[in-house]
Amino acid sequence: MTQTPSGAAATAPVPQATGRPAGRAQQPRQAVPAGGATAGVPAVEDVPRLLNRWQVIAVTACVLAGALTFGLQLLSWNANRSAADNTEQLVRVQNIQATFARANALATNGYLAGIKEDASQTTAYAEAIDLITHQLADAAEAQPADRQVLADLNAAVTDYAATIETARANNRQGFPIGSAYLEAANTTFGETAQPMLAALVSANQERADSEMDAQRPWLVVLPGLGAIAVLWWVNRQQAQRFHRRFNTGLAGAAIGLAATTLLAAIVSLGQAGDNDDLRDGSYQVAVDEAEARTAANIARSNESLRLVARGSGAAFEEAWASAAAVVRAKASDGTLGLWESYAALHDEIAQLDDDGDYDAAVLAAIDTGDGRAGAALQAFDTRSVETIDAAATATTDEIRSGNSAILVLAVLSLLVGLAAAGLTAWGIAQRRKEYA
Amino acid sequence: MNRRLALAVAAAALAVAGCGYDATVVPAPEAPEAPAAAGPAEECADDVAGLSPVRSYAPTGPLPAPGDIEADPDGSTVERIKAEGTLVVGVAADSFNLAYRNPETGVLEGFDIEMAKEVARAIFGTSTPQNTQFRVITPAQRFPLLQEREVDIVVRNMTINCARWELIAFSAEYFHSGQKILVRRNAGIDDLRDLAGLRICAPAGTTSIQNIETEIPGAIPVTAANDTQCMVKFQRGEADALSTDDTVLAGLAAQDPYSEVLDQEALTDEPYGIGVNAEQVDLVQFINAMLERMRRDGTWDEHYDRWLRPTLGDPTGKWPQPQYGRPLP
Repeated sequence: MTQTPSGAAATAPVPQATGRPAGRAQQPRQAVPAGGATAGVPAVEDVPRLLNRWQVIAVTACVLAGALTFGLQLLSWNANRSAADNTEQLVRVQNIQATFARANALATNGYLAGIKEDASQTTAYAEAIDLITHQLADAAEAQPADRQVLADLNAAVTDYAATIETARANNRQGFPIGSAYLEAANTTFGETAQPMLAALVSANQERADSEMDAQRPWLVVLPGLGAIAVLWWVNRQQAQRFHRRFNTGLAGAAIGLAATTLLAAIVSLGQAGDNDDLRDGSYQVAVDEAEARTAANIARSNESLRLVARGSGAAFEEAWASAAAVVRAKASDGTLGLWESYAALHDEIAQLDDDGDYDAAVLAAIDTGDGRAGAALQAFDTRSVETIDAAATATTDEIRSGNSAILVLAVLSLLVGLAAAGLTAWGIAQRRKEYA
Repeated sequence: MNRRLALAVAAAALAVAGCGYDATVVPAPEAPEAPAAAGPAEECADDVAGLSPVRSYAPTGPLPAPGDIEADPDGSTVERIKAEGTLVVGVAADSFNLAYRNPETGVLEGFDIEMAKEVARAIFGTSTPQNTQFRVITPAQRFPLLQEREVDIVVRNMTINCARWELIAFSAEYFHSGQKILVRRNAGIDDLRDLAGLRICAPAGTTSIQNIETEIPGAIPVTAANDTQCMVKFQRGEADALSTDDTVLAGLAAQDPYSEVLDQEALTDEPYGIGVNAEQVDLVQFINAMLERMRRDGTWDEHYDRWLRPTLGDPTGKWPQPQYGRPLP
């Protein structure tokens, strides 16, 4: 397309005086087509002022489109980044929850074993408490919004560990008051720490879900489409007055904006789809498996508590069954079989107890050798940790991998918007020259 | 990506977003259900038959030798238990020296446990884990489990009173206890008047808590789920004293060298009996005959000396003469 005036001179704007206009104040208030006014065009109008106005409108639209698209994509980029961070935090607090449940399972089983407690189990308990302490510090550093609850949780863990130590010390001296301390520790675990952990899991799950859901393809294209509409309108106004169908500058700006808008839509749609896939895939696996791991260890605690409460453990057996239902609903295919192996051994322990062979039931419950309940649950726990780590890493890697493209596109959108503004200004300047 | 650039972009994005996250909030816990009130303190001196509550069914004769007891599923209660091969006993497991689980052996031990084993020995000749099945129960489970015949007997420091005779039957008294106070050693507490303004713990929903309110003016009652939880509160400084049966307090004091049972007259009389289903009068008579034999042959003294004398001292008054004369239903 050329910018050469075409058509009869009668359709071209006719200046009132030849030569350069003397100035805005002296500009004639007319642009009368030879054939009279065309449809929608007043008979007399100030074309240079109109050109200025159109230029301002078009340039503003292009700059706004670039800036808004940049801003929206920056938000998308940040949302993805936050989604990854929140997913990591969610996994972190679920790990604390599961590790705490594991520690409690080891402590209650160790109490049941009394002086027969396996030394490796004592070490595993100490390591679990130590791990929780570090996990709490990491989690507090990662998410300021969680800090207060994590500080309270830290106090609860400290209280729990001290109470378990008192229970253990009394138990080793043969004092039954140890069971009251064990009960108090379990109350701290169940009634103080668990609500905090549930709140942390819920808050971080909500944050991660919300950020993953923050991709808005329709919103990202709106500034571009709006600017294109404005450019089309400006082009139409000019076409009516200059009898040029297209203004090269306006057309070039519109094409640039259309291209980046289309690209933004494709990337945003792709990211939204990827996030949906993640939420149904690895992210969900990580969340569900962590829930299963916590429930499995709570079940194991209840198995020990049932036997500590010798003969009146019906409530603990019900709690075991409730936890088992959670494991069966949430465990992945890779861990469910290991859980069922443990569950079968638990059933044997429960049967021994129900049959009145309490001593055999206790021996079976505290035995950590191969093929026994302790080892079976340990196998489940180990595989479960691996599953959670793999799924969580896959989720955050996937979210972060697509994020660079969004950032590049954001910068590109801004540059294209500015370039479109320049093209628009240039295109309208051409008309101004013709008019002059 | 360069970390500094990423941070700068993130800061810009946050500035655009204009917000962080709301602080995580833990929902307020639901208010715990208030424990059921203990009901009016037991005021009746006699039961509906006009008898003292400690009056039980008189034995029909001397205790038969185990070999003379027939194993008959359709016979008397004792014969049915022998035929089944198992005596199911409801017990506690948290009262040191009375009924508790030895963590070293995993075996239940204590004075009450020995009383239960004596019943098993009287029926089977010996008490083994196979023929004596202990079931650790809560105070609230004592009556329903007996009424539903889920357990054959309950030996769980259970006080005989006339209201309970409406629910179950009791053996003759096998131990005379009373509610006392446990305090810190050398705390300057010599009698009940020194307890005014102090926090005294007793299990929620029991008559012990009511006795504190009526017998110790100015004391602040504190509740816990059971006696041992009260001891935990005491050791953690959340209570200044605790009050329950002297047998239980003796066991608790034995686990804490910094505590002692106040030397005082008991606030209440707590005659312990072995609980039996109300319809199984023959079993009550059998147990009463067994108690008579224990009195004669010194078995009771032997168990007392081993489990309770070190903390409760001289047994005088701890085992009054049995009272009978309760008419058969």
